[in-house]
Amino acid sequence: MSNNNSFESNLFESFKKGDQAAFTHFYEKYFKRITAFCIQFIYDKDEAENLAQEALLYLWQNKQSLDSVNGIQSFLYTYAKSKCLNTIRHNKVKDRFKNDLLNIKERELNIEILNSISFDTLELTELERIIQESINDLPPKTREVFIKKRIENKKNAEIAEEMQVTLKAVEAHMTKALKILKTKLSDYLFLIFILICNN
Amino acid sequence: MISEILTKYLSNEATEQEIQTLFEWIDASEENKKEFIAAKKSCVMTSLSDLNSISETSVIQLKTRNKVFKYLKFAAVFLVLLGLGKLAFNYNQKANYSKEIVLELADGRSEFITKNNQTKIVNNKGDLIARKFPNQITYFGKVHDQEVVYNTLKVPYGKKFKLQLSDGTVVSLNSGTTLKYPEQFGLNTKRNVYLTGEAFFEVAKDKTHPFIVHANHIQVEVLGTKFNVSAYPENPTVNSTLIEGSIKLAEAENKSNTVLIVPNQMATWQNNSKKITTKFVDTSIYSAWTKGDIAFKDTPFSTIAKIIERTYDVKIINENSDLARQSFTGSIKISESSVENILELLKRDTPFNYAVKENTITITNIP
Repeated sequence: MSNNNSFESNLFESFKKGDQAAFTHFYEKYFKRITAFCIQFIYDKDEAENLAQEALLYLWQNKQSLDSVNGIQSFLYTYAKSKCLNTIRHNKVKDRFKNDLLNIKERELNIEILNSISFDTLELTELERIIQESINDLPPKTREVFIKKRIENKKNAEIAEEMQVTLKAVEAHMTKALKILKTKLSDYLFLIFILICNN
Repeated sequence: MISEILTKYLSNEATEQEIQTLFEWIDASEENKKEFIAAKKSCVMTSLSDLNSISETSVIQLKTRNKVFKYLKFAAVFLVLLGLGKLAFNYNQKANYSKEIVLELADGRSEFITKNNQTKIVNNKGDLIARKFPNQITYFGKVHDQEVVYNTLKVPYGKKFKLQLSDGTVVSLNSGTTLKYPEQFGLNTKRNVYLTGEAFFEVAKDKTHPFIVHANHIQVEVLGTKFNVSAYPENPTVNSTLIEGSIKLAEAENKSNTVLIVPNQMATWQNNSKKITTKFVDTSIYSAWTKGDIAFKDTPFSTIAKIIERTYDVKIINENSDLARQSFTGSIKISESSVENILELLKRDTPFNYAVKENTITITNIP
């Protein structure tokens, strides 16, 4: 971990001086993550990728304003969050349901969720570690299903076909993954909430 | 009930009806809403983690080998003994395609590659372009781009063959495979070859002339590397497994649909969905055939049957539904095992009867 950190710190210095190769490293590290984040609010892969691209471009243009490598993540997610909020508020999210009340309700909920997430540098680093650990702790099959779902945005049917298991099994793995993550992470999110309120 | 719908919602699989129920539940109390927000937040926050690195490392775990593997491992020993009593299938009666390896030359002439004709191949100018051995042809030389002409080599079921192309690339061809390739590569062109079936490539390094394997709707592009491509026409997929170097797969009609794979990864093209997926694999399983082995890992019987058909040039009809659902793990030396040996082994795990008539094997339930 510390090796990795000093490696990234060195890259960060080059990045600040305008080294494109260093930027590429951060681009590759964060592109999918930001996309995965956005897609859960705007439900369109292309649009989510556009936002991720924009966030990374914005990072490149504002590299001077960053103090440390830990700031990158916070910078990108804060940008992505505000872009998602804008997209929702300007009604640019495509309707997902026939019943318009559901579309409106979903947007309201998403706005509330986005507003409640803070991307302070310190908490993020710690949170990232905990999330990583939680995912690592999932049973192997469950983790595989979860990752295919989250990272590759696959449909349950596709995952079932790839892993040669039944659709029911995929659903069961997904339920299990979310249950475990919910328990582990919501405790932590609550903790962040307290931290923020005390500040 | 609600937690089930919530999971479906978070994994984007809920129906509109279910979402309506969920939203009504959320509206019912402040508590419910809090719970929903916490759940979605946890889910969203997982995008912070490095899912990529997880999927590349820890997910790939070798499954514990099942009991069949043990049998097959021991089998290697006793197969040698049983192999002596090898069943001779009647190869001659089936004549719907050539039983010999056929080489089609650029001018349309065809010739058989048989045991006894070690010869030279000359082009129409009388230049020596290749030497032919019983199990291999070696090409050499380069030509001007406009003079590139193609040869086609057809390997029937039950046979294997090796080619050394004029750039030094070695291609092992599995049973039931056709490869079309330039007799001599052009001086300035890409190195294009066309594959149906399965081949293992050891591509000679040449950065200025990318080597491209065309198979089905896929192009596999390489600079210098070792990899296996399996593109049998009866399969709805093309698999490419990489041993060394790096290769790029792209859909022929849509070049933006592309993936880059690293050693120990397998890329799979699906004809139906037109998608290319990748996963990490034990590559030794996919290149085992080049060493005269058949290897399976959690391989369904239908796939194994197809491999046996190609390797031994037999036909298998399976009427046993238990066997059809079964998967097997293990490896077999082809030279030391007959089809019967293999079937006897599989029988130990999943009992069945079989009958051999000429070169057709019919598998049935135990009465």
